[in-house]
Amino acid sequence: MIRRLVRRLGSALLVLWAVATLTFVIADLLPSDPARMIAGPTARAADVARIRAQIGADRPLAVRYGLYLRHLVHVTEPAAAAAANKTEHADCASFGPLHLDLGHSYTQRKPVVAVLADRAPRSLLLAVGAVTVQLFVGLLAGLLAAFRPRSWLDRTTIAATVVGTSVPTYLIGLTLQYALGHRLHLLPLDGFGRTDGEHLVSLILPALTLGIFGAAYYARLVRDDLLAAMRQDFVRTARAKGASRLRTLLHHALRTTLVPVLTVVGLELGALVGGAVVVETLFRWPGIGALAVSSLLDHDGPLILGITLTTSACIVMSNLVVDAMYVLLDPRMRRAS
Amino acid sequence: MQRAGMLLLPYARTRTRLLAHPSARLGGLLVALLVLFALVAPLLSPYEANASDFVHGLGPGDTPGPPSWAHWLGTDRIFRDQLTRLAMGARLSLFVGIGASALATLLGGAVGIVAGYFEGTAIDAVLMRLVDVGLSFPFLLLVMAVGAALDETSALTVLLLLGASGWLGTARLVRAKTLQVRAQEFIAAARALGLSTPRILWRHVLPNVASTLVFTATLAVAQMLLAESVLSYLGAGVPPPAASWGRMLFEGQDFYQAAPWLLAGPACLVVLAALAFHLLGEGMRDVLDP
Repeated sequence: MIRRLVRRLGSALLVLWAVATLTFVIADLLPSDPARMIAGPTARAADVARIRAQIGADRPLAVRYGLYLRHLVHVTEPAAAAAANKTEHADCASFGPLHLDLGHSYTQRKPVVAVLADRAPRSLLLAVGAVTVQLFVGLLAGLLAAFRPRSWLDRTTIAATVVGTSVPTYLIGLTLQYALGHRLHLLPLDGFGRTDGEHLVSLILPALTLGIFGAAYYARLVRDDLLAAMRQDFVRTARAKGASRLRTLLHHALRTTLVPVLTVVGLELGALVGGAVVVETLFRWPGIGALAVSSLLDHDGPLILGITLTTSACIVMSNLVVDAMYVLLDPRMRRAS
Repeated sequence: MQRAGMLLLPYARTRTRLLAHPSARLGGLLVALLVLFALVAPLLSPYEANASDFVHGLGPGDTPGPPSWAHWLGTDRIFRDQLTRLAMGARLSLFVGIGASALATLLGGAVGIVAGYFEGTAIDAVLMRLVDVGLSFPFLLLVMAVGAALDETSALTVLLLLGASGWLGTARLVRAKTLQVRAQEFIAAARALGLSTPRILWRHVLPNVASTLVFTATLAVAQMLLAESVLSYLGAGVPPPAASWGRMLFEGQDFYQAAPWLLAGPACLVVLAALAFHLLGEGMRDVLDP
């Protein structure tokens, strides 16, 4: 089992390296001149050339790629770091001697790690809110539908899930924004607010939007899985021993269903922490997803790289956690590996 | 003669069962209506999709014109006929949706069949690692980044980008199905008879995963169509003046009070189009993969 986890960790690092390389090449293809962006539109050509040499943008792609990878994660003794030229480690986030350097954002004029550290908690908050709504609505609808298959309740749920997956998120968001924010004045239209209370109130609309979109998927998953579990021998045995349908559903079938549900929760959470691009943009939620759009429009290479790496790392990590959870939740997996 | 009959029989039976399936029937009908609208409406319309009509298209105070006899669904912010633009948007959505889904199914099918057939070998490992990389890559960012790197995006580049990034899920699904097929006796028999690997894949594996490919492709059309509308909404899709539902929604949202018809049309069509392919795909899955 340890061997399995180590192997998964190795392949996760490989995936991250591939993502970093791919993004580096794409960011390089963007038609932009970082030196010009730093110097500003009115700077003289000679100054721009000097800055270009300073940041190393005039070197070949392979050299810059090598430097990027070497800087990305490096080990420095704290004493040596303090003694060394200050600018060398200005963009680093340090975890003891381990330094993480994602470079400097041209447009935000801050280290990329600092920008991401600001944004990531807000995306995490939104992700947790969204998954909570998804789970609550999805589980409830799935259970109700599975209680009496082919009843009107079941058919309505199925119809709702098909419709739910057919509506693009921004449309759900716009509708909620109009109804709850604009017409009923119940919630702020968008933004993040200043105090903790305002944060929570602002969270409701974007979380609800993502929640409704995802809940359709969960409801279908829970319903189909519950019905499959209800046909199995252990449920029939429980029924034969006199357990009611409700009890078998909640006590016996739901347990087996939780494994695939938790898998999806893990993956979904990972993807959302990396930024819900559309919803964050729509509701001006200052997380990683909204930043991704603006960094792309601004052609801010280091920031784009930092965001894609963060997002991929979140997805890869949630994959790992889900894998480990499988082993914990399903005893059969332990024997298999 | 007999051979043709044997080949036709399963198709005829599938068709009958599809026609009897309520959601497949409704989905198929909606898809047919949508295709008809996309193909015929621009031909019948007296207006150009990208031309402003300053004579009949102006509303009070130079706002977008409301629905009238001249413009059935009103005009947009620069007085272009909304109905004609919706139909052109339908063309774009169907072109990108169907094209990208076909590309994704082709790629995903090929990778899935090869990886599944060579399960456990280096080929399988490399292909599936590739899928892992792709799946942990934020696809919307990838598409937007490549779109930004290219100076000019067109419907074709959006199609290629969506297709090239959307095959990963199909590959996993087809691989799983191929594993089931490969374990069956007729594959062992084909191998024992000395058939070459390409021939086994083409004649014996592919026909047996075809049903999976057909319904995944149909469901993928809905996904691609939605993805195209999201890209356009974010301003990363096909650039103006081309008509796209996502872009029309983005431009119309400023007029939600003065001209709500600008939002109603594209919103209904996006949902209806995605719903049509979802219903058809779900019906196909019920019939083909019970």
